[in-house]
Amino acid sequence: MYRGRIWLYFSNIFHQLLLVFVLLVMVAYLSSASPFFFTWNNFRNIFDHSSLYIILALGITFVIAAGGIDLSVGAVAALSGVCMAVAMHSGLSVGLSILSGICSGAFMGMAGGTVIFLFKINPFIVTLGFMSLSRGLALIVTGGIPIYGFPKSFTWWGSGHIGPFNPPMLLAAFLIVVAAVMLNFTRFGYYTLALGGNEEALRRSGVSIFLYKVLVYTLCGVTAAIGGLIVTARLNTAEPLAGWMLELDTIAAVVLGGTSMKGGRGTIVGTVIACFLLGILRNGLVILSIPSYYQQLLIGIIILAAVIFAEVRARKGLLGFNKK
Amino acid sequence: MKKKKQRVAVFLLLSIAVFAAACSPSPAPAPVEEGKNNLVSADAAQEQKGAKEAGPAYAMNPKAYAMEQALMDQLMPLPDLHKGERIGALIITLANPFWVAMKEGYERAGAEMGVEVVVMAAPTEGDTKSQLETLDAMVAKGYAAIIASPIEPFNLVPGVVRANKRGIKVINLGPPINKEALKDARGWLDGRITVNFEEQGALAAEYIVQKLGPAGGKVAIIQGIPGAGQSEGRTAGAKGVFENTKNVEIVSIQPGNWDRNTAYNLASNILQAHPDLKGIFCANDVMALGVVEALQAANKKNDVVVAGVDFIDEARESIQRGELDGTVAMSPFLLFPRSGATSRW
Amino acid sequence: MFGCAQKKDGSQKSPYLRLKKIKKSFGHIVALEGIDLDIYPAEVMALVGDNGAGKSTLIKIISGVLAPDSGEISLNGTSYRHLTPSKAVELGISTVYQDLALVDCRDTASNIFLGKEPLKAWFFVDKQKMIKESEALLKKLKVAIPSVTTPVEDLSGGQRQGVAVARSIMQQGRMLIFDEPTAAMGVNEANRILKLIRNLGDEGFAVVVISHNLHHVFSIADRICVMRNGRLMVDCRTENTNLEQIVGFITGPPQLTKTHTEKELMPGCGEDAGNVQRQDMVIF
Ligand SMILES: Nc1ncnc2c1ncn2[C@@H]1O[C@H](COP(=O)(O)OP(=O)(O)OP(=O)(O)O)[C@@H](O)[C@H]1O
Ligand SMILES: [Mg+2]
Repeated sequence: MYRGRIWLYFSNIFHQLLLVFVLLVMVAYLSSASPFFFTWNNFRNIFDHSSLYIILALGITFVIAAGGIDLSVGAVAALSGVCMAVAMHSGLSVGLSILSGICSGAFMGMAGGTVIFLFKINPFIVTLGFMSLSRGLALIVTGGIPIYGFPKSFTWWGSGHIGPFNPPMLLAAFLIVVAAVMLNFTRFGYYTLALGGNEEALRRSGVSIFLYKVLVYTLCGVTAAIGGLIVTARLNTAEPLAGWMLELDTIAAVVLGGTSMKGGRGTIVGTVIACFLLGILRNGLVILSIPSYYQQLLIGIIILAAVIFAEVRARKGLLGFNKK
Repeated sequence: MKKKKQRVAVFLLLSIAVFAAACSPSPAPAPVEEGKNNLVSADAAQEQKGAKEAGPAYAMNPKAYAMEQALMDQLMPLPDLHKGERIGALIITLANPFWVAMKEGYERAGAEMGVEVVVMAAPTEGDTKSQLETLDAMVAKGYAAIIASPIEPFNLVPGVVRANKRGIKVINLGPPINKEALKDARGWLDGRITVNFEEQGALAAEYIVQKLGPAGGKVAIIQGIPGAGQSEGRTAGAKGVFENTKNVEIVSIQPGNWDRNTAYNLASNILQAHPDLKGIFCANDVMALGVVEALQAANKKNDVVVAGVDFIDEARESIQRGELDGTVAMSPFLLFPRSGATSRW
Repeated sequence: MFGCAQKKDGSQKSPYLRLKKIKKSFGHIVALEGIDLDIYPAEVMALVGDNGAGKSTLIKIISGVLAPDSGEISLNGTSYRHLTPSKAVELGISTVYQDLALVDCRDTASNIFLGKEPLKAWFFVDKQKMIKESEALLKKLKVAIPSVTTPVEDLSGGQRQGVAVARSIMQQGRMLIFDEPTAAMGVNEANRILKLIRNLGDEGFAVVVISHNLHHVFSIADRICVMRNGRLMVDCRTENTNLEQIVGFITGPPQLTKTHTEKELMPGCGEDAGNVQRQDMVIF
């Protein structure tokens, strides 16, 4: 039975509403447990830390929505940070250096997308290869030793101030809006979702799969590179090992947010909420001084619970909001 | 046979000496104590400032040089070295600046002695299995000797046993290989120059305590990967010192996974919960440098003492700039006397 | 070998699309063994044959989804070795596939406009326009669906076919191919789609329909082609044949294989054909 457009809309965002609910419960609990949690300074911290995860997760949202996966983002972030550092230390201007770093990220994404398309290989394996490749390049270029010491105009991107905010937060906010508009209101977003939903159908409609697949992975490379910019600028150091395991954290956030691993369904809002959720969780664990071994355990349990819930609900129509 | 052993030992010494030269430029440690990990701090750098401005920046530390000379004298006469001797060195990972410097040290020593030295490493700091596989591959290649620095006490044990069977000398340098486990597996080490991680942690913690003065205050520890040998050892050492000091309270022990950005995030989060924090000990310099960035971003650098371990180049420069407060060098001066002992095999 | 059936008024029309010696095999399975076929504008051509005869394979070659192993496709005076889906869409070939090729998780409007999304302000998809136009189109086709914003996976089989048909209409091709468009439809819905197909033929489109329902075929087709085991068995005008005859061609002599020559087949066909005139019916 058809229950109307409002109902449909509600059932679509049910998962996100649930996340918001969990988030609010967490905030309420942490606020009561520690007087330091519910302060502007602490929230500024959470926003600051989450901005990196959000930016990377935005790109991954597109890739996963398109039915793919990208395991190389952490390594690509490190590589583009190294590129920026090398460019700056070789005398290039800050602007051009940043551009060169972003281009290197875009290039890695583009190359990955091309390989995935041309040889029809599972993106899991291809991006795993690109992860190793990018790390390897970053290690070769640096010789394993971090490159440090950059101009103020570069480190501003990580630790500058714009009113009460800092550049990473504003960059993240800007990119959230751009990504949401792209995914929901442009042909690129439509084709991204169609790619994940039924690639063959899209191909038969006369759309170039090659173009859009490569674009999706390139976009992910660009967001990874922007992540690299933030890490490098914030730490004033380009490390070949920066962003270690970052891909797993961000993929977890994207899936937690409600983007389907099977492709065809993607939500920027969900991704952002999930990033905040994980950010608050990490912050809360430290604020409450939970011992480190339990932290790993807790984060694991929470991610598993959320993903299992999302899957079961999607499959069985748990709570009756969705059929499939 | 005896000659061969001796040559290996001397090679080892030289490699460490060269490593020291690479790592200890002029404004290096003032308070040198033999047989101990070596603390490098801002205060020491300050004292040496005059010297730094005068001399070339990367000159050999005179004290270290003197010690090395003394040591070499003890070992005289050096055995004849056949050119073309092949020695393998297995280190932890080339993705860590500390070990990169170590590799350079090995190679320079090899070149100096006319010994072919091949340095291999695991891809990452946590990849225990690949390190073992690398050791196996090295055993198969039939080096005269292998110098191994394991990721954790147990991961290389089977490889060492295989090397023993093939008559390849194995020397354990740096992080220790667990003796009992090795004995149970019917293996043995031909030499052993290990670092005391607890001592490193304790040394850094003592420094922080000393800087805090009698008033003490709240301190935090940022570990590496929970469970890793260095991480647990250094944490335990620091924890012991902090706990046994009056007025000093450990408010947080967090896993930084050897990652700079994670350490950055942790430090800023800890500061939220404990705005009156006075000191942070990090299990390595990379994380300590991340913490320094976080403190600077929060305008708290002057309120919090930060100490790391490893004495990587970047840490040295940070100390010179007056940002990082102190770090513990895996002291070459510690390694010398004990490696002298290894020549008695 | 090559033959075609002309309209009974005898006016010589040039084909919209011409296939020459199209061959296609999947590994060891030979799906098409050299197909020659002309498709004319303003004509509804029905393609019939048993399961696995190669009908879908043939139309996938026409719509560019598959590339033939050999042969040639001529269109507007140009010959192509093979087409791609985008080339075919560009050349005005729209297809309703047997598997419908719908993006299940997307809504009806997005599916209908897939690949042809209208834009506003340069690069934003004009969703409002899509919703309005697809609602209007579905209404015109009398396809009843709850809302064009529900995901297609929530629709019934017949509704999904309706959406696929609507999409092919929306693509505004000059040639429309329907691969079993009414298979899952109820009687009323099927009749509406058949009427629509007939109208499209009358409006001047080149239409190809695949169907297993011979009653449907006879009610709408101008021309019927029978395929069997990857070969075109017969190509005749509807008014020159009858249902039994076509059934005979579809089922054929039981042991028919590709080793049978034309001559062997011809007499049988001739007998079956009875009063059918040679120039109106070509038997391969
Ligand atoms: N992708 C493919 N891979 C392998 N074999 C295929 C493929 N597509 C079709 N075939 C084979 O080609 C032959 C023709 O298939 P096709 O789908 O064209 O038949 P059809 O006439 O459309 O049958 P139906 O009436 O059942 O739809 C069959 O034997 C089928 O098994
Ligand atoms: Mg078919």
